[in-house]
Amino acid sequence: MKKILFILLAFLAISCSKQKLADLNKDVKHPTDVPGNSLFSNAEKNLSDQTVTLNVNDNNFDLWSQYLTETTYTDESNYDIFTRNVPDRAWRTYYRDILEDLNRADSLIKGENLTAAEDIAAQKNSRAIIDIVAVYTWDRMVTLWGNIPYTQALNINNVLPAYDDALSIHKDLISRVTADIAALDASNGSFGDADIIYGGDVTNWKAFANGLLVKLAIQIADVSSESALVTSSITAAKDGTFASPAENAIFKYLGGTPNTNPLYVDLTLSGRLDYVAANTLVDEMNAANDPRLPFYFDQNLGTNTYKGGAYGHSAAYGNFSHISPVISEDPTFGNPLMTYSEIQFYLAEAAARGIIPTADAPTYYDNAVKASIEYWGGTAAQAAIYLAQSSVAYDQATWKSKIGTQAWISFYLRGYEGWTEWRRLDAPAMNMPPSPSQDGFPYRYTYPSNEQTLNGANYTQAASAIGGDKLTTKLYWDVN
Amino acid sequence: MMLAFLFFVGLNFASAQTRMISGTVTSADDGTALPGVTVQVKGTTVGTTTDLNGKYSINVDAKAGNTLIFSFVGMGTQEIALGSSNIINVVLKSSAMAINEVVVTALGISREKKSLGYATQEISGNSINAVKSDNIINSLSGRVSGVQVKTSGNMGGSTNIIIRGSKSLTGNNQALFVVDGVPISNQTDNSVNSRYQKRGGAGYDFGSAASDINANDIKSISVLKGAAATALYGSRAANGVILITTKTGRDDKYLGSNGLGVSFSTNVTAGVIDKSTFPTYQTQYGGGYGPYYSGGAHPGLYNGPLPWTGGQDALYVPTTEDASYGAKFDPNLMVYQWNSFVPESKNYQKATPWVNAANGPITFFNTAVSTSNTLAVNGASKSTSFRFSYTNFQQTGILPNSKLAKNSFSLSGSHQVTKNFTVSSTANFVHQATTGRNNTGYNDNVLTSFRQWWEMNVDVQELKSMYDLTGNNVTWNMSQPEKGNLKPIYWNNFYWERFNNYETDSRDHLFGNVQAKWDITDYLSVTGRATLDTYNSLWEVRKASGSVAGAFGIGLGDVTSGYARTNRSFMEANYDLMINFKKNITEKLNLSALLGSNIRRTYSSSIFASTNGGLIVPGLYSVANSASPPLASLETQQTIGVNGVFGSVSLGYNNLLYLDATLRRDQSSTLPVDNSIYYYPSISGSFIFSNLLKADWLPFAKVRLNYAEVGNDAPFASLYDTYAQPSPFGNVTLFSVPNIKNNSELKPEKTKSMEAGLEMTFLHKRLGFDAAVYRTNTINQIMPVAVSYATGYSTKYVNAGVVQNKGVELNVYGIPLQTKDFSWNVNINFSANRNKVVSLFDSVKNLQLQSFQGGVTVNATIGHPYGTIQGKDYVYLNGEKVVGSNGYYERTSTTNNVLGNVNPDWHAGITNSFTYKSWTASFLIDIQKGGSVFSLDQYYGQGTGLYPNTVGTNDLGNPMRSAISDGGGVVLKGVTEDGKPNMKRVNADRYSGPFGWARNPNAAFVYDASYVKLREAQISYNFSSKLLKNTGIRSLSLGLVGSNLWIIFKNLPYADPEANLGAGSNTQGWQSGVMPTTRNFGFNLKVQF
Repeated sequence: MKKILFILLAFLAISCSKQKLADLNKDVKHPTDVPGNSLFSNAEKNLSDQTVTLNVNDNNFDLWSQYLTETTYTDESNYDIFTRNVPDRAWRTYYRDILEDLNRADSLIKGENLTAAEDIAAQKNSRAIIDIVAVYTWDRMVTLWGNIPYTQALNINNVLPAYDDALSIHKDLISRVTADIAALDASNGSFGDADIIYGGDVTNWKAFANGLLVKLAIQIADVSSESALVTSSITAAKDGTFASPAENAIFKYLGGTPNTNPLYVDLTLSGRLDYVAANTLVDEMNAANDPRLPFYFDQNLGTNTYKGGAYGHSAAYGNFSHISPVISEDPTFGNPLMTYSEIQFYLAEAAARGIIPTADAPTYYDNAVKASIEYWGGTAAQAAIYLAQSSVAYDQATWKSKIGTQAWISFYLRGYEGWTEWRRLDAPAMNMPPSPSQDGFPYRYTYPSNEQTLNGANYTQAASAIGGDKLTTKLYWDVN
Repeated sequence: MMLAFLFFVGLNFASAQTRMISGTVTSADDGTALPGVTVQVKGTTVGTTTDLNGKYSINVDAKAGNTLIFSFVGMGTQEIALGSSNIINVVLKSSAMAINEVVVTALGISREKKSLGYATQEISGNSINAVKSDNIINSLSGRVSGVQVKTSGNMGGSTNIIIRGSKSLTGNNQALFVVDGVPISNQTDNSVNSRYQKRGGAGYDFGSAASDINANDIKSISVLKGAAATALYGSRAANGVILITTKTGRDDKYLGSNGLGVSFSTNVTAGVIDKSTFPTYQTQYGGGYGPYYSGGAHPGLYNGPLPWTGGQDALYVPTTEDASYGAKFDPNLMVYQWNSFVPESKNYQKATPWVNAANGPITFFNTAVSTSNTLAVNGASKSTSFRFSYTNFQQTGILPNSKLAKNSFSLSGSHQVTKNFTVSSTANFVHQATTGRNNTGYNDNVLTSFRQWWEMNVDVQELKSMYDLTGNNVTWNMSQPEKGNLKPIYWNNFYWERFNNYETDSRDHLFGNVQAKWDITDYLSVTGRATLDTYNSLWEVRKASGSVAGAFGIGLGDVTSGYARTNRSFMEANYDLMINFKKNITEKLNLSALLGSNIRRTYSSSIFASTNGGLIVPGLYSVANSASPPLASLETQQTIGVNGVFGSVSLGYNNLLYLDATLRRDQSSTLPVDNSIYYYPSISGSFIFSNLLKADWLPFAKVRLNYAEVGNDAPFASLYDTYAQPSPFGNVTLFSVPNIKNNSELKPEKTKSMEAGLEMTFLHKRLGFDAAVYRTNTINQIMPVAVSYATGYSTKYVNAGVVQNKGVELNVYGIPLQTKDFSWNVNINFSANRNKVVSLFDSVKNLQLQSFQGGVTVNATIGHPYGTIQGKDYVYLNGEKVVGSNGYYERTSTTNNVLGNVNPDWHAGITNSFTYKSWTASFLIDIQKGGSVFSLDQYYGQGTGLYPNTVGTNDLGNPMRSAISDGGGVVLKGVTEDGKPNMKRVNADRYSGPFGWARNPNAAFVYDASYVKLREAQISYNFSSKLLKNTGIRSLSLGLVGSNLWIIFKNLPYADPEANLGAGSNTQGWQSGVMPTTRNFGFNLKVQF
């Protein structure tokens, strides 16, 4: 019996304390606590990458805006975004890899226990900048899809977030950025080097925020019920925004992977020959002898010879113009997220529409075109010659086509902006590819397929609210 | 009884209280003596074992009992009533008919099979080691009911093994292997590399450590299928256990007079590819995507100036166009082809006839050869026994430059220190080295080109001679040869690729145990055991300078060269202490009980390092040789601890009724402190009603019933969040919120199972069956559920979901024919499992398990079986496919249509074996009905015009690839939106036409995965002992064996429905660039000295 007792004691000895056992469950290779700044930096990089990439899985807008067309595999040029689940990947990047990191950056920075007055002031600026980048991202999404989860988004405790009405989101974004402008105090600092775009310069961010307000307002210029809001926003912001191209928001890439411009990966490192110029853009630029041609395209067909492939048709790489090596072979090529030229185009449009004095339209327009040409490497003299042509010169009677076409040309390789400009201003005329995945041009992204499987009821409601989850559904602001 | 009583009484008078019984036990198979047979006085614990010559002697207390039980693992048990003679010689049979079989159950406890209240099935070591494979699991296919084995086809790759259906939605569903008490997991390594591989991205199937179990060392395999059978093991055994007992020093029947036995076996196998699992190509059209190049009258070709044509236009092949929608072959048409651009080629600057290549991709494959040599030495004395074995396995694969070598050492020994104290130990060391595994999935995979992206005009042997001649990456798929750019655009020269971009990997694996047993009294013993399973592996991946650019290394950036390595170490230790109690309460009522404890610690770590931006010096594969500064290495480290206490009680009454109850309590480190303890109860019973009926026609009949609950803990570190750390942006540190939201309130998950079974034998035991029905419900599953990205996360850990598995298993065996010299045995295994996802999480109705290229997903959907394949379907009108106004099939806009399911309807294996004198022969037919697979190979391969269905004549009798204006094109069968028959003719002369991905829903490429296979056949001859007399050889057998000999039936074109990315629940149901199946023919020699 003694022996048995001895054995039972041995059993008791093996059970160690619960806590000691639980201590094994520690991930010793990953941190639980990090600086909030590092999440903001990461969000900036993800936003820039998603905006500029030419990877067919992530971004087809340089095709949709018909700057480029595909050589062999023409699926995406023909608006097939389904095979590669492109909307799923974009939705994931915006919500998970940008907005959630911004959200967390804000809560970590808010939680920092600061005592020095200048740190507290910088904290306030940093939080406003986070919100400005978030608004910029939300604007992209709501203008891309229409209704999206907004008020219930970014809450892991609600896995079935309802979709908000696109216009009400848009209006909320306007009020948020208005508040952010007021909150920014240029006499204090913010992120410093953790801000990859402006190095923490609050003056630049303030100009950026005013530009964003102009952009948000002009986007809904055709929505008659909001004309007062549009007018007040543009009037308030127009003088606070970029005074010159020196304030452009450029994301500057680095020389080594994985921090090069994604274009360098897609066009040079990949070794693939997937893209050539599309005829839609090249024909337009050739007709007006555009001085940006040698900066946009390679002269692989001979000096000053540019030819675009018929949009959406198979194209032999050697037979058409390639993207300029200035772009494709420079890993550090900067990615513009907002420019002086762009805002001048919006202001020209606001003037043309009579939101601000119509008489100012030609000035804004000329400023915009000239800034674009100079941005790409052209001269003021070239810009003047270009603008003097009757096909280019501003004309109030045809303002939509003039501003639409010129803004579209200036948005080269900023496909999303070019396509959105085309959606609002309906210029220039696009070419229908030979075998589009649906009948008609795309006016929005379809919702991700996994919203159908994971958030089905809310998805169905949103799809019917916007008039059907189709590529061809026009969003509420795209009225004519 | 009366007679026995009289006999007993008589005995009492005739002799003293005890008497000495002795005799010899021999094998019915060959008449040789059987050492190590247990001889026990029935109803007592008094027993002995036979010596090396099969002899025994035992003192029988006349009061205690009058029946001796002779038992030996793998052979039948015999009970012999004592008669007047004191000499009892026994012949034991090894056959399926052995009803009083002793089987090994959980924790290695030997039990009489008849007493068990749950299903187990035994396989002898001999039956699985005849046909050698680099993975023991492949040999289990079709042999056991309820066990689904799915061979990946990858050399050295992992094999999926699932018992009674998938229970876990997102976790591990692989059966657990336990070798001599050492648990060995079949989970594939879950590191950075393989996670990408499991989605179908570039990578390799590095196999699993379970493949290191050496078939030559196996004495018997016991498959414990249900939770009641495995409850004592705790959570890891929820998916069933393959319990393996290895041979000991006493297991060899042929020990010599010096107590030593030596045996040697050799096996040589040659493997050739099964042509039915490789594409049959169309032979009429060459490279190109359609009739839209500049070739004028030959629009499938280019017409333009070439460097040597002096500005004149010439016809040349579009080398970038890795498809076969090009120009129609015409031997009179002279075309500059890829090798016209290669200065070393005899065709340099020469146009050659435009014809289908003489040597297609099938000529790329070699004959695989594998050799296996095993030497085993065993010995035993009265108190000590040992066994040592060494196996050398060498294999070359069907792909050039692929080989696998494995050296396995095994040593086991036991020593009886004192009368009641025995120590024993086993140790296995396996070193495996592999070179040139096949790539899996879509990227960087030679097979992906052969099955999806190929030009029919390219001669594979010409590629070989160009590589042999130049040593360079001279490819058919040049970027812009007309401009002098001969660099590969999508595909390397396949030979260059195999000999330069190969991987190597190695694994050093040690597993074994030490054990001590102390018999305190004749009814009480204590066993202590420590087991260890540990391995270190190194994976090295190369991309030689000048390769096609592709995602590589930590940054997954596109590079044309690189080097990456992963070092991984794993260690699991178990410490078990068990007290066994066994006593007959009365003559009819026996009790055995067990109390035990288990401490388990699992430690794993890995480090993944790679070059960044390519290599500086070509051919130097080191991380330091990185063009850009290398990115920080990725490290993982995990420690898991589980402490368990368990007990069981078994009662047996008069060979009639048996009752078992077990309980285990586990405490796991991966659960929240307050929820860290969980219990697994089980109860099982059996009733041998034939012993009541005592009918001649029914020698044995038993019903059994059980209920069990098995708990499970959470994955490592899933209770709290950590941040992800992307590579820094220059000097700017980046952190990111992780994609998975962890959960600090997880509870243990539970599987509840019920099972009923019936075993019967008839016709003097020449026919019998064992049937089981079961139902398991797995509830509160701990899983990362996919959530809307709008939450800011991809997935969230929750306790959710109920998965139900219901099924039947039937094992029928019989001896249709038996004469003195000849016998024919049949063994049929049948199993059908019905799996259903009952509930998920909140109001989530669908859980996406994996998303694959081609737009299909594998899902758990409420109301459907686990593993639905979802994607776009056809649109139907009154049962007819709807064709749109453009002449192509309409597709649903939704992507959540259920198109199939990865799980089969049923499985069966039929083994026929024959013996005639010294000849034995057998063959195994393996059948799967149902299950689905999405073929990315067909999705793209039809779209690129590789397959015969993309050519031929149309309804007008014209070639369908002619222009519509020339009477070509096709009219797809279906109706228009208003229900009228479709009349619209569409082009079939280009990609994005009626075949392939661009114009068809996913449903077009989902195939039935049913098959009927001749899995294995063998014939062998045993030389009789008479013939071998005076040769020094005790036994000698020769055999011819074959495996995967013939796919008798399948529905999937040009591929094996079993082929896949590797083991794991989420990698099934999708094929891309899969290897063809190898048919193996081999020769066996076994000799014992």
